[in-house]
Amino acid sequence: MPIDCDDQELLEGFLAETTELLEKLDDDLVALEKSPDDADLMNRIFRSIHTVKGASSFLGFDLLVKVTHKTEDVLNRLRKGELTVTPEIMDVILEAVDLVKTLVADIKDGDIVERDIDSTIAKLTPFLTEGAAEATVLAPGAAQAAVPPPQAAAAAEPAPAEAAAQPAGAAAAPQAAVAPVEKAPAPPKENLPAKKPAPAAKGDELADNSTVRVDVKRLDDLMNQVGELVLERNRMIQLHSDYQVGLDPVEFADDFGKLSKRLNFVTSELQMQVLKMRMLPVEKVFKKFPRIVRNLARDLGKEVDLHIIGEETELDRSVVDEIGDPLIHLIRNALDHGLETPDERLAAGKPRTGTVVLSAAHEGNQIVISIKDNGRGIDPEKISKKALDKGLVTEEQLAAMGPREILDLLFLPGFSTKEVTTDLSGRGVGMDVVRTNIRKLNGIIEIKNDVGHGSEFILKLPLTLAIIQSLLVEVEGEVYSIPLSSVIETMRVNTDEFHMVGGQEVLKLRDSVLPLLRLHRVFGTPIKNVDRKTCYVVIVGVAEKRVGLIVTRLLGQQEVAIKSLGKFLSNLPGIGGSTIMGDGRVALIVDPMGLIGGGDAAGGRI
Amino acid sequence: METALMVKGEEFGGELIQLVSFNLEKEEYGINVLMVREIIRMLNITRVPNTPHYVEGVINLRGKVIPIISLRRKFDLMEAEYDKRTRIMVMEVAGELMGFIVDEVSEVIRISEKEIQPPPPVVSNGIEQECMAGVINQAERLLVLLDLERMFTADERRMFSSIG
Repeated sequence: MPIDCDDQELLEGFLAETTELLEKLDDDLVALEKSPDDADLMNRIFRSIHTVKGASSFLGFDLLVKVTHKTEDVLNRLRKGELTVTPEIMDVILEAVDLVKTLVADIKDGDIVERDIDSTIAKLTPFLTEGAAEATVLAPGAAQAAVPPPQAAAAAEPAPAEAAAQPAGAAAAPQAAVAPVEKAPAPPKENLPAKKPAPAAKGDELADNSTVRVDVKRLDDLMNQVGELVLERNRMIQLHSDYQVGLDPVEFADDFGKLSKRLNFVTSELQMQVLKMRMLPVEKVFKKFPRIVRNLARDLGKEVDLHIIGEETELDRSVVDEIGDPLIHLIRNALDHGLETPDERLAAGKPRTGTVVLSAAHEGNQIVISIKDNGRGIDPEKISKKALDKGLVTEEQLAAMGPREILDLLFLPGFSTKEVTTDLSGRGVGMDVVRTNIRKLNGIIEIKNDVGHGSEFILKLPLTLAIIQSLLVEVEGEVYSIPLSSVIETMRVNTDEFHMVGGQEVLKLRDSVLPLLRLHRVFGTPIKNVDRKTCYVVIVGVAEKRVGLIVTRLLGQQEVAIKSLGKFLSNLPGIGGSTIMGDGRVALIVDPMGLIGGGDAAGGRI
Repeated sequence: METALMVKGEEFGGELIQLVSFNLEKEEYGINVLMVREIIRMLNITRVPNTPHYVEGVINLRGKVIPIISLRRKFDLMEAEYDKRTRIMVMEVAGELMGFIVDEVSEVIRISEKEIQPPPPVVSNGIEQECMAGVINQAERLLVLLDLERMFTADERRMFSSIG
């Protein structure tokens, strides 16, 4: 049935508002389960669902009205204290909210599909009767028939509720008129059958990426910056013509110096503004986790407290899109592998409830996201044994590995400590996904492990992918730029400190052995100065791996804009793109991921 | 002028086309002017590692980074020093801008399509048959017409985009 709505703007406004409300609702409901006595929270939830109901009845979406109405009734009883919050009730309410999302998604797609809403309504109905505690799920027909007196109030609904709905709808209308400025974000695309409760809200893409919502204030700031840029340009043109008609060169140099300083200032401001517009709070990703954790914990029979810190941290939308999946995997791992069951925890002298802390923060030009649990930690013994059993490594390789390298085995495709594959884990794909996505973003993964007390996965990601901070290095006369986000440290080394291990040059660095790559060899640069005693090693990290790149000189740090090399020169090993330097020359950007991939082939390990 | 040429063109029959003519190792070549975006002097070329031997590197063309190919190397000719006549012809090949280094760019000539003869079966100095679109035999000059779209064989294109 196509949607019959005269006012497209009104519809868009409805969709935008409803989608937002529903996203928030998920979060609030999970929070409610934890603190059932929070009256504010309860009222907020009630209001949200009421608003959705009102707006949908105003626009004539009957299915939506039916579901929201029943949900509202149940919530109302919870609010009045006639019912108490139990996981069972929450399951049903969450299911109803999922159904509402599906219906809204239908509306957004422009086609209302006849969906089975009766089974969900049937599950809601028992909670509306007195003595709901022992209510069982009845057949839809029976439930409808067995409507006892309290229901009468609800049955008399057409009059009061409709009346209430009208003002609500009207209230929604002015907002709708404002809303079209920002195009409606896509509602969760869940095409789950209405019957089963949604599993982890996986794949429900939160935001439509083709449009951006930008704070009007930011847009104004941007306009201001552009205005200033125009002024500086005019100043420059003026200066040039002055110079041509015979401005004193000394004065010119002076003015030009001032001008370039101001231009520098304006462009950096402009850059920041545009960057900020591309930024999204990481909350976009984080907010689906409480729900996932709740469901997982229930499935696994574990008790989990999820703490989210720093969800207001902003990062580039391209990064936001990519970190969702890895985070889901890491959180699943924390719950499934990390945390123990309540009994095990008590036996180990820990509190029953396990804690998972998901945090995000800015650290210089990086964003650091960490997932920390206080479970059993990662047992290196177990990992090495598994990797050996699965034939992923040989005994000799194992023997040569330090504790860090053993933890890195986690990321091997096909690695899993699970004996049996469940729908949750065990196929050995998860960590590989984590590694692939983080690599794609030029990020770094660090693992902190404390056997018996928990583990922490730390992801360090660049803020944006278009302009990067880079380290300029010289390799036998050629300039290359290495993304600073993957540089861990640089050091000056005497060439006699290098060792050979199995045909691979290595450097002993504190407690680890660092494989080395001579960049001039990788890039086939002709050597100019053969007998050099010292050189510089740039230690780069990609995901969980570390490699030292040998370069001739370090030139400094610079912010560079990434330029593509075009399709003819794409996929060059070890080259990620190019950039244009101050003097107009092109410098190639080293792609540490490509290099380390190539280095493996040479080293023959991992 | 225009009309005179047109008349001349009609005499031969067929469409008039304009060619940019350039020199490589004393041979004269022509390329359809519509393919050529611009002709620039030599710039600083940044070498790109692990590319086919005829890829000189990349340049910064007003903020855009484009690959530069040495036609001498591509055609297996002797290497020559770059001098003040050396030019980079920037062309759009298969939707991408690319620069080609040539010894010298001489002029734009107009010819009638009728004047283009099929290339001789055996090509002397190593130019692959397939990027030769024909030869133009005018009174005192012989021009080789190139088709750069065909310059990179399917194989090379694949290799280009999947080196490593």
